[in-house]
Amino acid sequence: MADNRAALAGDRLLAYAALAPSAFLLLLLAGVPTITVFVTAMQDVGMGDTDGPFIGFENFAWVFAEPAFYTALWNTFVWVFGSVALEMLLGLGLALLLNKSFAFRGAARAIVLAPYLVPTVVAVLTWRYMLHDIVGVVNAALMSIGITDQPLLWLNSQGLAMTSVIMVGVWKFFPFVVIAILGILQSIPQEQYEAAKIDGASDFQQFWRITLPYVMPVFLLTALLRTIWSFNKFEIIYLMTGGGPLDATTTLPILVYLKAFSDFEFGRAAAIAIVTLAILCVLLAIYFFFIKRAEARQ
Amino acid sequence: MARVEINQVSKIFADHTAVSDVNLTVNDGEFLVLLGPSGCGKSTLLRMIAGLELPTYGDIFIGERRATRLQPKDRNIAMVFQNYALYPHLSVYENIAFPLRVRGADRKLVDDKVRWAAELVGLTRMLKRKPRQMSGGERQRTALARSLVRDPDVFLLDEPLSNLDAKLRHSSREELRQFQDRVGVTSIYVTHDQVEAMGLGDRIVVMQGGSVRQIGTPEEIYLHPADTFVATFMGSPPMNLVVTGDVTLGFRPENFLPKASFADNGPVTQITFNVHRVEYLGGDRLLYGVVSGNLPETQAIARIPSSVSYSPVLNTEVTFAVANSELRRFDTASGKAIAAEASMEKRRAANG
Repeated sequence: MADNRAALAGDRLLAYAALAPSAFLLLLLAGVPTITVFVTAMQDVGMGDTDGPFIGFENFAWVFAEPAFYTALWNTFVWVFGSVALEMLLGLGLALLLNKSFAFRGAARAIVLAPYLVPTVVAVLTWRYMLHDIVGVVNAALMSIGITDQPLLWLNSQGLAMTSVIMVGVWKFFPFVVIAILGILQSIPQEQYEAAKIDGASDFQQFWRITLPYVMPVFLLTALLRTIWSFNKFEIIYLMTGGGPLDATTTLPILVYLKAFSDFEFGRAAAIAIVTLAILCVLLAIYFFFIKRAEARQ
Repeated sequence: MARVEINQVSKIFADHTAVSDVNLTVNDGEFLVLLGPSGCGKSTLLRMIAGLELPTYGDIFIGERRATRLQPKDRNIAMVFQNYALYPHLSVYENIAFPLRVRGADRKLVDDKVRWAAELVGLTRMLKRKPRQMSGGERQRTALARSLVRDPDVFLLDEPLSNLDAKLRHSSREELRQFQDRVGVTSIYVTHDQVEAMGLGDRIVVMQGGSVRQIGTPEEIYLHPADTFVATFMGSPPMNLVVTGDVTLGFRPENFLPKASFADNGPVTQITFNVHRVEYLGGDRLLYGVVSGNLPETQAIARIPSSVSYSPVLNTEVTFAVANSELRRFDTASGKAIAAEASMEKRRAANG
């Protein structure tokens, strides 16, 4: 066997040489910017500057004393857990439905996946138009069936803006959950259900004792992955509301952007970015922990 | 325990007929084997008995009840699947307990039953394991134990040994049969392996193309095949068939021996045989060649025990023979066996 053979010096060299281009690119694209941001976070960099005096952890101290940071942190959690929870529920439900056999199942699957394929800009512009308080089709529909008698300010009221953003986010990304769960549903051997039927399990018992245990690991991993991705999400929120009204939808990535390119406080923006990165690292660590455990179980 | 009766059952799928007009009675406590090549409808028939498929026509009775349209759970049957269908996330204990749990049995009863079943199949020390930590044979026994805990009326087994290696298959076959003798439950066993069928079955049902070709004890099926399909499907190597006009002659390779090895116990039919190749199999030698002489030239095989001293001469015509009592006759057109008495009478008439 090749893996039992002691590696020759030349083999090692070849392996490193083969890895070098990827390692170099990875460092260039991920390592260098991260380090640059970290360095910037230690500096007092203002408008028009790319460099400034080193001030140690002063920017971080500012971040943790800044109310806007806590507002953004809270908004981020609302956005992440609101949208991920709904995506997971909707995704699981639809995956279960699409796993049943019915006429036009193929077409139904394609339609469900459509939102995931629409470019974000196109989707957001369409949704903004639909959610417009005066000319939007959503308000028109709600008013015509009498749920509300005056237009709702979907994107321009502090109370509804986050709801609208979450709604569009869920619409855009739940197909990912559907694909992931449908995949695992289809890998469950039919004999398991047949054996359970013969043993007298009801439909609910079959779901509870067979389907759910199969789906659970993928469900959890998908939820974590969606959490990480939603945490990072910038464009869908920014294009919908720009973080407004009155910071109602300003999440951490948007706060970083606003600090950097609207307030031109690069040092402080970098410090927020680093804190965000730290939170994400914790999430990633949990994700890899679960992946490892799932692999060990296989 | 129960009798199973299958009345004129057919299953027609959109594009083909899987089972066509099958009539069959499985006696109480009997071990019945459904045997046939893949696609012969044996599994579909079993699934209809289980209630996993509905027959297109016909009726199925289990015990005194008409079960044709009953839900699988209401038939009081147990089934062992080819890949065992164990639940990978449950321990062996919970797998065996599953049928009781879903029926809401109380904890004490579940525990008693699981331990009783595990004891019966020799799994007592593995109850905490997960299926993936067990060998094929242990998984198969787990599936068997799971099917036991409910005291089913009928056992359905769908090729339960085919995922085991040859050696394990042999010992499992014996265990399975001993086990059935002990619990005495009516069992219906599907396989494509004739050795399994011969070794296990009280009776064998040979199926082909969705229909039953023959039902009988292993001896009946081997010694008196109902048609040329059964004659060639059973036995390895298969029965030699020589077409002589309207009648096809059939004789088993082990009955096709050099003329010299027949003492004068009964009349024999002499056949000219030209051996082309010899295969040594340890206990036996297979002689491949062509029969000729007063028969049309046809490929045939002779099987001679290694204990019989005979040195075959290749590519030379020698006289072989078959005892008349071992010679079978089939109608060439239909392939159906011609009953021994009928052929006897024909011969008597011909001889005056």
